Parts: sequence; structure tokens; C-alpha cells
Amino acid sequence: MKLGKKLTGTLAIPVITLLAVWLICSSKGVALFETQLNILTFVRAIANVSLVTFALAINLNSGRFDFSVGSVALLSSVISAKIVLALNLGPVAMLLLSIVFGAIFGLISGAVYVSVKLPPIIVSLAIALFYEGLAFALTGGHGVSFANSANLLSFSTIPNLLIIIVIAVLFMVVVFDHTRFGYEYKALQSGQKVAVNTGIKEIPNALICYTIAGAFMGAQGFISATTNGTIQMSLNFGSISPMFMAFLPMFIGGFIGRFSNDKMGYLLGAVTSALISLLYVRLNVSSSVQQIVSALLLVCFLIYLNNEGVIRGLFVRKERAV
Amino acid sequence: MKTLKRLTALLLVVVMVFSLAACGSKESGGNDSAQTSGPDDSQNVKIGVLVSDVTSAEALAFRAYYEEYIQEQYNVTFMYSDELADAAAEASAIDNFIANNCKAIISFASADRPAQIEQCEQNGVYYAVATGTLTEEQYEQYKGYEHYVGAIGPDLYTEYMAGYNMAKYYLDQGYTKFGMFGGATPYYTEMHIYRAAGMLVAMCEAGNGTYMGANDMGSMIGAIYGAGCQLEPAVIGDVELVGYVAGYDFDDAWFGKLAAVANDPSVEVLLAVGSGQTAFAGFKQANQKLGDIDCYTADSVALMESGTLDYLAGKFSASIGPVFIAVLSAVQGHPIRTEEGNAFAISQGYWVATSAEQAKEYFEVDSSKTEPAYTRAMLDTLYGASYSDLEAFVQKYSFEEIKELAK
Repeated sequence: MKLGKKLTGTLAIPVITLLAVWLICSSKGVALFETQLNILTFVRAIANVSLVTFALAINLNSGRFDFSVGSVALLSSVISAKIVLALNLGPVAMLLLSIVFGAIFGLISGAVYVSVKLPPIIVSLAIALFYEGLAFALTGGHGVSFANSANLLSFSTIPNLLIIIVIAVLFMVVVFDHTRFGYEYKALQSGQKVAVNTGIKEIPNALICYTIAGAFMGAQGFISATTNGTIQMSLNFGSISPMFMAFLPMFIGGFIGRFSNDKMGYLLGAVTSALISLLYVRLNVSSSVQQIVSALLLVCFLIYLNNEGVIRGLFVRKERAV
Repeated sequence: MKTLKRLTALLLVVVMVFSLAACGSKESGGNDSAQTSGPDDSQNVKIGVLVSDVTSAEALAFRAYYEEYIQEQYNVTFMYSDELADAAAEASAIDNFIANNCKAIISFASADRPAQIEQCEQNGVYYAVATGTLTEEQYEQYKGYEHYVGAIGPDLYTEYMAGYNMAKYYLDQGYTKFGMFGGATPYYTEMHIYRAAGMLVAMCEAGNGTYMGANDMGSMIGAIYGAGCQLEPAVIGDVELVGYVAGYDFDDAWFGKLAAVANDPSVEVLLAVGSGQTAFAGFKQANQKLGDIDCYTADSVALMESGTLDYLAGKFSASIGPVFIAVLSAVQGHPIRTEEGNAFAISQGYWVATSAEQAKEYFEVDSSKTEPAYTRAMLDTLYGASYSDLEAFVQKYSFEEIKELAK
């Protein structure tokens, strides 16, 4: 594939979205990036969405739909926040603890899946309920508040969030593109039976995937908690909702992956999603309109992906006619 | 023989007189049992509790009062529903309570109260509304139902005044630039709409202006509904609503909007119709004021102590005590009805704290599992009481008034 086509395919969606968002804001007389807070909102959204997208994509690409990712973020951030508040530790300690606990809970989630051999959707729903209940019990239902802890609230700055994003992308690229685990992961993705026959062990591979996804969700839980100063409890699958923010960037990432690295695609998908979020903020779009627009964008993109051949065919015919 | 006959007749007359007297005294005892007998603790009474929220601080405090205080004091068992999202879930939960031999249901869920009342009436189960009231039309329709006990909670005017008083508190201090969190206003939740209307009317009065052409309670409620419950920032005479956010999306855009309002350098005061501590506490600037309508928790006290929060209108957990004793009284044969024989509808207000000391004092009482605001001794005085006694008791809801009642 030529470099020009690669670049066009990779950057088309985020650039078109940026132009569209900028035009909409300009038509309303609003600057997209007027203050540093707008940049912070944008970067924070990239960090949140990219971490959830990585976590979801790792397992979904292998056919494992994991509904428990939100509950892993919830439980790991609750435990790390409780420890940090009790021992009067700082935000870096909380971030590390969140990642460690996230990895442990992800591993447990994966271990249950490979042990009971039930469909991953069912197992992950059960795990989500269990983790939500555990977080509720640990906090007596009150959640955790650290609105008074300026130290923890001060972490969510542009440089800190950028560092987390860069480390996450590098980790994804190195682990999944340059390690034996990553090659085996790809082999299992393209043909599990053949891969297993060649000696690849699918259970350890799945467990590592769940562990990495859990670690990403631990980091996402930390960012979410230190942004608003509270961790609200969720019950009855209330923790599932963060997962939905990853769908659009994941599909965009899949599309971009055809032209470049799919991990870079997920990141650019997160950038696209963050631009749309910033548009909602700058124009103070009501939540009902926001939900309708987000759903329409997702549906339109899926329609395009599923009918790409037909749509391209239409353009090709037109070109030939000309 | 004659003497014997006379004696026998006399004896029969005496027995008859005593029997009638005994019957008479039994009936009068039934009418006035509050002072004579009090609640019957010999048999356990199961009470179902319908809840639409199980995670908010307010919901947890209410549950703790029932399960950790009332259940320890009375021979009752509370059976809680799951988090009920809609009318179908409420109907299913009521069926479950009836199947489990619940004699009464106390409802904190409001997806379809008329359906709840009808279902309980049909099944002969007592029903009461806690921390809320029916609309006037609903009350007129159901007040005569035998098993509808009544409702105790902030009525919509009380909600309106809670918002009005909070905004006025800051307006009286000379603040003119406000940011507002509208909570569930866009979801057409009346409680939040009325609180928001109260805040806006207070701003209209102080600023000599109008908001969407409205400047009093009636017109403001109409204007809010007319706008599809979607509010916008606006200049209101000399006062300005600089920023407005609502809903509970908990996504990046929602947090971004909250941060944008709180980081606007012109915003002096952040007002919340509810959950202000969750929405704004993480973003609030040091020089800004924050007022909220919620409940008293250890976290809210800590926020008041640190100066993050400086006005809190909160429901107190024991406020659901009177509705419990009215339900128990009805189940045990002593329903409390109005003079016309109808179910009661009594409004109850908030405890307002404007200092950390006040909030701490309120929280200590509110969270006590041995001496809460309404103790058993206080509630027992309402068992089988007259409507006027119940009304007088409930309407003395301020912290100071309750302390007086406890003496």
C-alpha cells in the first residue's frame, strides 16, 4: 500500500471529524480550544476512552465479549482509594495500586471464564455483578469521596494524562506486536484450532489478555475517580455503561487498522470520540441530544462498514460513467 | 324460691350490666389505644419497602434507620425490594411482598404510584408513601381507599421553597453570578424541577428580571415545562445564571460541562438541586460557594468543615419514622385518618445547615442508632393517634423543634 493511501486512510476520520467539529463550533461563534480547560477536557477524554477501548478490544478481537471491564475499574479504584486515604499516600501510589488490583481482578475474571467454560458474555455478566456487590459492600454503599484531598485531585493534568496515554499505546504496541505472546495472540485470533495444533496454549494466552485488560481498566478507574473526586457505587450492571463509550473508537480503530497499526487506530478512534465529547461541552449540548447524536454516529459508521463494498461500487461506477 | 328467683334475676342483671360495660370499655379502648396500649409487639409484622434507588447516601441513611433502629425497637421485619427502574418492576416487587406475607408496603418508588395503590388495595395490603406526596389529583382519587394509609414527605411547594431559600441565602449576601446543576430536571423529575424553579424565582426577585419570561412560581414551572425541562444560562436582570448542567451521564462530556461551569471565573456560587457534592465538589474553585440539597453524611460534614460546601438542605433519615408508625398502627387495627375519614397527606421539610458545626450536630443525631431524631418513645405517642396529633408532630420537623419534642 502506498504511503499516501496509508496516511489518508489513517488520518481521514479524525481529520474530517476535527474539521466538522471546528466548523460547527465556528458557526455558533464558539472556539473549540478556547482555554486550557478545553484542552484538559479533550486529553482526559482521550485517556479515558483509549484505555477502555484497549481493554475491550484485547478480548473482543478474540471473540470474548467482556461486560465486566467497568466493574473491574470500579472495584480496583475503590480498593486503591481506600488504601491511599488510609495511609495518606499520593496519586502515583493510587495509580499503581489501581493498575495492580485491576490486573488481579482481570486475571480472576479470566480464570473464572477458562474454568467454567461458559460463554464469555454470561461469565462476564456474573463477574460484573459480583465485583459491583463487592465494591458496594466494601464502602457500605457510600462509595469513596476524596473531594477534600487536593493531592489526589491535582493529578489529572494534561502532562500526566499524556504520559499515561503514551505508556498505554507503547505497551500495547510492544506487547501485542513484538513479543511471543503477541504473535500467539494473533495466531489464535486468525485460527484457534490451527494455532493450538501448532503448540500454542490458548488458556495462558486468554488469562494474560484478561490481566492486561484489567490493568488498563484499573488505570481508567483511577483517572475517572481523580477527575471528579468521588467514586459512585453501581449495582445491577450499572458499571457496564463505560464500556459503551469504547464501541465507536473500536470500530474506527478497526477501520484505521487496515491502513496502519490497529493500536494506533484505537488511539485515533479515541481522539475522534474525544473531539465529539468536546463539541458537546463547548456547545453545552443536552444529554438527550448527545445520546441521539452518538447513537446515530455509531449506527451510520456500522452501516458504512457493513456496506462498504456497495458504497465504493457506487463511486467506482460513477467514475467509470464520467 | 321466690327469693332465689329474685336473686338469680338480679345476678343476671348484674352480669348483663358488667358484660355491656365490658363491651363498651373494649370499644372505647379501640378508639383511644395510643394512650392505653401502644404497639403490639407480640406478633411480628412484615413490611415491604419499595425503593428505586439503593446507592445514594439518602437511600442508605433511610434504610439504616429502618433496619438498624426501627427493626431493633419494634417486632417488625422490613423486606426491601431491589432497585426498581419502572412500573412493571414495582408491580412485580409488590407481588413478591404479598407472597411473602407482608401486611403493609412503604413506598419510596414513584414510577407509578396510582398502580401501586390500586394493587395494594385489591390485595388488602396497607400502603403508604414515604419522603414524598401524591399529586392533588391523585390524592383526591385515592384518599378514600381503605388500605391507603397516607403520605409524609416534602410536597412540591416545600421542594420549591428549598431551592428558593438556598438561592436567596446567597443573593442576600450580594452574590449575583451563579452556576447551576439541574440534576434530574431534564428527565421531568418534579422534585428537581420545583427546586430549580425556586432558585430561578429567587434570582428573578433579586435581579428584578425574568427567566424565559417568568418571575413567579406558577409561571416559572410553566416555563420550565414549556422548554421541555431543558434550561439554559441567561441574564436575569442584575443577576446572571452563567452556566447550567443537568443529567447524570457520568461520561467525559458531562464531566467536561461541570468543569466548564465551575472553572468559569465569573461564577461566584454553584447551586445544585441535588447531588451537588458529587457533581461539583471535584471541580469547584476555592473562592466559589457551593449549596446543595441532599442529606447529612460523614462526607458532607467533612466537605462543610473544609469549606468546600457551605449550605446544605438535607432530609434527615428519621423523617420516615412517622409514616412507619402510622402504617404499623393501621396494620394493628388503629388506622390514622383525617376527620373526614380519609388518608393523610402531610408535608415535611428539610434541615438546613449553613455551618460545619450545624452540619456536624445534625449528622450526629441523624446517624445515631440509639438516639435518632425520632426515637421509639416519640413514635409511640403517634400509635393510634388522631390526625391532628400526627400532623402537628410531623410539621415540627426542624432540628430545634424535634429536640423540643424529644424532651
